[in-house]
Amino acid sequence: MAAEQQIGRSAPGKEAPRHVTGRGRFVDDLTLPRMLYAGVLRSPYGHARIGRVDAAKARALSGVRAVVTPEEIQRRLRPFKPGRYAAGLKVAVPEYAGAVGKVRYVGEPVAAVAAETRAMAEDALELIEVDYDALRAVVTIEAAADPGAPVLYDELGGNIAWRGHVAYGDVEAAFTSADRIVRDTLKIHRYSSTPLEPFACLAEWTLGKLTVWCNAQSPDVICDALSEALGLDQVRVIVPDVGGGFGQKIHLIRKYVVLTALLAVDTGRPVKWIEDRSEHMMAGGHSCEQEFDVEAAVRADGEVLGLTIRDTDDVGGSVSTLTIHFTNKLNNLFNVYKVQHLRLEGRSVVTNKCPVVPNRGIGKPGMCFVWERMMDRVAQELGLDPIQVRRRNLIEAGAFPYTAPNGNIYGSGEYEALLDKALAKVEYDTVRRQQQAERSSVARTLSGSRGEPDKARPTGTLLTGIGVVIGLEPGGRNAARDMAIFPESKQMPGAGGVEGATVKIERNGSVVFTLGSVSCGQSHETTAAQIIADVLGVGIDRVSMTGGFDSALSPWGVSSSNSGNNFHLYDVGAVHGAASRLRDKLLTLAAHVLQADRNTLAVDDGVVYDSTNSITFAELGRIAYSNQALLPPGFEPGLQATWYHSHPHADPLMLPDRQGRVRAQYTFSSAVHAAVVEVDVDTGRVRVLRYVIVSDNGTLINPSVVAGQIYGSAAHGISVALGEGFVYGDDGQLLTLTLLDYGKSTTLETPRIEIEHHPVPDPFTTLGQKAAGEGAAIPSPAAIAAAVEDALSPLGVKVRELPLSPERVWRLINGLTV
Amino acid sequence: MTHTMQLTVNGESCRAVVEPRTLLVHLLRDQLGLTGTHVGCVVGECGACSVLVDGALVKSCLMLAVQADGCTVTTIEGLSTSASTPGLPGTPGTPGTLGTPAILHPVQEAFIRRFALQCGFCTPGFVMAAAALLARNPNPTEVEIRQQLASNLCMCTGYVQIVEAVQEAATRLREWQQSSR
Ligand code: FES
Ligand code: FES
Repeated sequence: MAAEQQIGRSAPGKEAPRHVTGRGRFVDDLTLPRMLYAGVLRSPYGHARIGRVDAAKARALSGVRAVVTPEEIQRRLRPFKPGRYAAGLKVAVPEYAGAVGKVRYVGEPVAAVAAETRAMAEDALELIEVDYDALRAVVTIEAAADPGAPVLYDELGGNIAWRGHVAYGDVEAAFTSADRIVRDTLKIHRYSSTPLEPFACLAEWTLGKLTVWCNAQSPDVICDALSEALGLDQVRVIVPDVGGGFGQKIHLIRKYVVLTALLAVDTGRPVKWIEDRSEHMMAGGHSCEQEFDVEAAVRADGEVLGLTIRDTDDVGGSVSTLTIHFTNKLNNLFNVYKVQHLRLEGRSVVTNKCPVVPNRGIGKPGMCFVWERMMDRVAQELGLDPIQVRRRNLIEAGAFPYTAPNGNIYGSGEYEALLDKALAKVEYDTVRRQQQAERSSVARTLSGSRGEPDKARPTGTLLTGIGVVIGLEPGGRNAARDMAIFPESKQMPGAGGVEGATVKIERNGSVVFTLGSVSCGQSHETTAAQIIADVLGVGIDRVSMTGGFDSALSPWGVSSSNSGNNFHLYDVGAVHGAASRLRDKLLTLAAHVLQADRNTLAVDDGVVYDSTNSITFAELGRIAYSNQALLPPGFEPGLQATWYHSHPHADPLMLPDRQGRVRAQYTFSSAVHAAVVEVDVDTGRVRVLRYVIVSDNGTLINPSVVAGQIYGSAAHGISVALGEGFVYGDDGQLLTLTLLDYGKSTTLETPRIEIEHHPVPDPFTTLGQKAAGEGAAIPSPAAIAAAVEDALSPLGVKVRELPLSPERVWRLINGLTV
Repeated sequence: MTHTMQLTVNGESCRAVVEPRTLLVHLLRDQLGLTGTHVGCVVGECGACSVLVDGALVKSCLMLAVQADGCTVTTIEGLSTSASTPGLPGTPGTPGTLGTPAILHPVQEAFIRRFALQCGFCTPGFVMAAAALLARNPNPTEVEIRQQLASNLCMCTGYVQIVEAVQEAATRLREWQQSSR
C-alpha cells in the first residue's frame, strides 16, 4: 500500500495528543529532588536610586536557603555584553542580571531568594528592606527628549540614546520632482503577545556543570548570558514544551536564568523559578512605542516617488535592545511597493518603562503601518481610490525575483492577484454600496454634532467601514543585516544562517529525528515529520521527534532561535537535507543486501524494493546496527544522518555592499487583509464584522498549521488595534498589570477570521516554502485603522495612532484631543 | 497551621495536608502531580487552570484547596477516562482514532482533528471548559460557544479552530448519544 503523500496535507498535529490530555511537559511541570523555589524582589518605583539593602530578616526566615542582593549582583556577576539588539550603543553601559545602583522601571529585578517552598520565598521577599531614593520618572518620548528631563543613564548624558539613518535611491530628487508632498504623524503603542505561559526556569548545579531547563526561544542567548554573567561554559540548556513565545521569551528571560543559576550555585540544590502574570506584564518585555513623522513625495496619479520617515522608538528602561525596532524595519522597508527612494531616520529614547523586546514582527508592524496609512492618506489628498493608489505602486507579477532598493530579494509574489481575490472575497463593491445607503440615512443625524459630545443625538448610530491593506511577511534571518546600519561595529554579528537536524532509522525500523530549533507551538514536529515521511518513503505514524531542544544533543546553530521566522527556511532545509542523506545511505545498504542495482530501487511505506526483491526498514535497521558482515565495504554503520543547512541562495547581498544594500531576510510571504468594521458613534466601540485574509506563504507543507499561524497572528494584531496595550501613569507605575486591565481580546472581540491561501512558490527554497508565523500580526493593525477611519470618514476623522479603544474612538468622533 | 482534607480526584480518593492559603491549583499540581492543569495568571483571567468540581466548571486558581474538602474533582488527566464524571453526558468518550492509546473525550479528539491548539498551554483549560459547555448545552451556536468560552484566553490560535473543534465535538457527541440511545 502506498504511503500517503504528506507534504501539502493537513496531517494531524503530532504534538496535539499530549496537550489535549494534559501530558505536555512544560518547565513548571518538572521537579527535581531537593528542589528549591525562587522568588524575585522587584522595584516598586519607575525611577529611583537604590540605597541600603538589608536582607538579614529574610535570611533568618525559616526555609530560606539563599538571598541575592544588588551588592552581590554587582560583585559576583559580570554585566552582559551589548549584543546585536544594542548594536547602536556607542558608550559602554553595564547591564547586570539585576538592578545595580538604580532602578529604571517598575518591576526591575532587585533581589532574589531561594526557599523550600514558593510561599516561603514570597514571604522572604517581603522581609527584604530596600531604601529607595525616588527620582522623577520619565514616561513619554516628549518628556524624555526634554533637555531638562532627569537622565536615566549618566553614561549617555541624556535620554536620546541613539540616532542613525539609512537612505536608498535619490530621495531629494524624488521630492523635488513630486506633484505633492503628503505628510502625517503616526504612532504605534506598547503591547505584547503575552504568551500564556510566563517565563520559567529550573537550574541544577552539579560539580561545576550547570543544567538549565527554561522556556527560552533562543538557546544562544541563554548560553551567552550564562557565560558572560557567570563565566560558565559548561552549560546545558534544555527547552521542553514552551507555552508560546512570540519573541517575548528571547531576551529578558536571560536575567532570570542567570539569577536562578546563581541561587542554584549558592545552595548546591536545584532551583525553580516561575514568573507570575503581573511580573510578566511589568518586566517580561514590551513591544516598542514608535512615533513616525512621514512625508511621501507623490505624483498626481498616485505614484509614490519617495518616502522619508523620522522614527522615534521608546525603548524603555534598558539600552540592551536599543536598536532592534529600527533595524527590523529593513526587513520590510519598501513593503510590496516599487518605490525606489526612501530615507529612514531613527532615534531611540530611554524612558522609565519596561524594556522593549522582540514581539511578533518587531519593527515590521510599525513599518507596514506607515506604508499602509500613507497609501490611504495619499488617496485622500489626491481624491483617488485607495485600492487604485495601491495598484499604482505594487511590484508587478512579472518583476520577480525582485530586488528592493535596500537589497532584499523577493523570490516571488502576485500582489495584484492577492488584492483581486481579497476584494472579491470580502465583496468590496457590495460593502461600498451598503455603506453609501447607510450614510445617506444617517447623514442628517450626524451633521453638526461633531465637537459637541453632549448634544443629543439619536442613540445607536452605527457606521460601517472597510479597510484593505497589503503587507509583507519576511522570513529567514540573515545575521549580517545589521552591518548595513552599523558598519563601524567591531564584532561581526555573523552572516546568513546555520541550522541542523538529525534523522535516524532505528533498529526496529521506526524513524526518529532531532531538530536544532526550539518550538513554541508552531507544530515543528508535525511539519518536519511530514517532510521526513515523504523523503524517506515511510508512513508518518512511524516518524517521531526525540524531544525538545537540548543543547547537548540538538544539532543547532545561530538559526535555531525561534525567531525571525527561521523555521521554514533553516529547519525545513536541515530536515530535508538530513532525510535525503539518510535515504541515500538506506539505498546503498539495501542495494548491497539485496544485490540489486541501486538505481532500480524504490521506497514506499517503509519498504525498499525493486521488481523482484524487497526489504523493510526494520530488517535494514537490524543489519545496520548489528550485522557487520552484511554491510557494504566502507559503509558507516548505523542509519543516521545529520545535516546543517545554510540557505544555498544566501548570496548575492548576504554581506552589505557599498550602498548599504543587504538582504535582511530571505523569503517574503505576502497577504492582503480586508477588514469590515462597525463603529458605534455613541460609545466609540468598534466591532469587526468581517476579517478576510488572502495569503501567499509559498508552498504549503501543512495548510492547517499555516492557517493556524495566520489566525493567531491576525487575532493578535486585531486585538492590538482594538484596544489592548500597556498604560503607564505619570509616575511610571504600570496601570495594566493584569490581562483584563491590559485588554486582551477574548473569543468575543476576536472575529471569525477568514483565510484564502494563494501560494506562490519561492524559487529559491527547498520546497518553494515561505514563512508563516509573524505574518498577519504585521498588516492587521493597519487594516483595522483603515477600516475605522473609513467608517468615520463622514465625520472627517483621521486615525493616526493605536489602539482604537472605545475611549479613543469616542474622542476622535467628538473632536477631542486623544 | 495546616489542614488535613479528603477529596476525590479523577475517581481516586486522596488525603492531603495543606496550608489554609494553598490554592486548589497548587494542590493539584504540586502535591498530586496533576500538572495538566496550568497556571497562566493565577487571578482568574485566563482559564488555563479550569477543572470540574462536583461537576461545575471552576478556575482552580480562584478556589482554596480547603474549599474542595470532600469534593469530587475532575482534571484534564481524568476527563478521557471519567465514565461517571458528574455533569458530563455520562460518556467514556469514543475510542481514540488518532494514534493515542487513551480513550479520548470527543472534545479532545476534535481539538486534535481541528488544529485547535498550538503551544498547548491553554488547551487543558479550553478542553475542560468546552466539555462543560457541551454538557450544559449539547447544541450551541457559534455565538454561544464564543460567549461561553470567553472565560478562557488563548494567545496562539486566534480561536477560529477552537470554535470549529467545539462545533465538531458537539455534532459527534449528539451522534454518539443518539446511537447509544
Ligand atoms: S490561572 Fe486560573 S484563571 Fe488563569
Ligand atoms: S495554544 Fe498557546 S495559548 Fe492557546
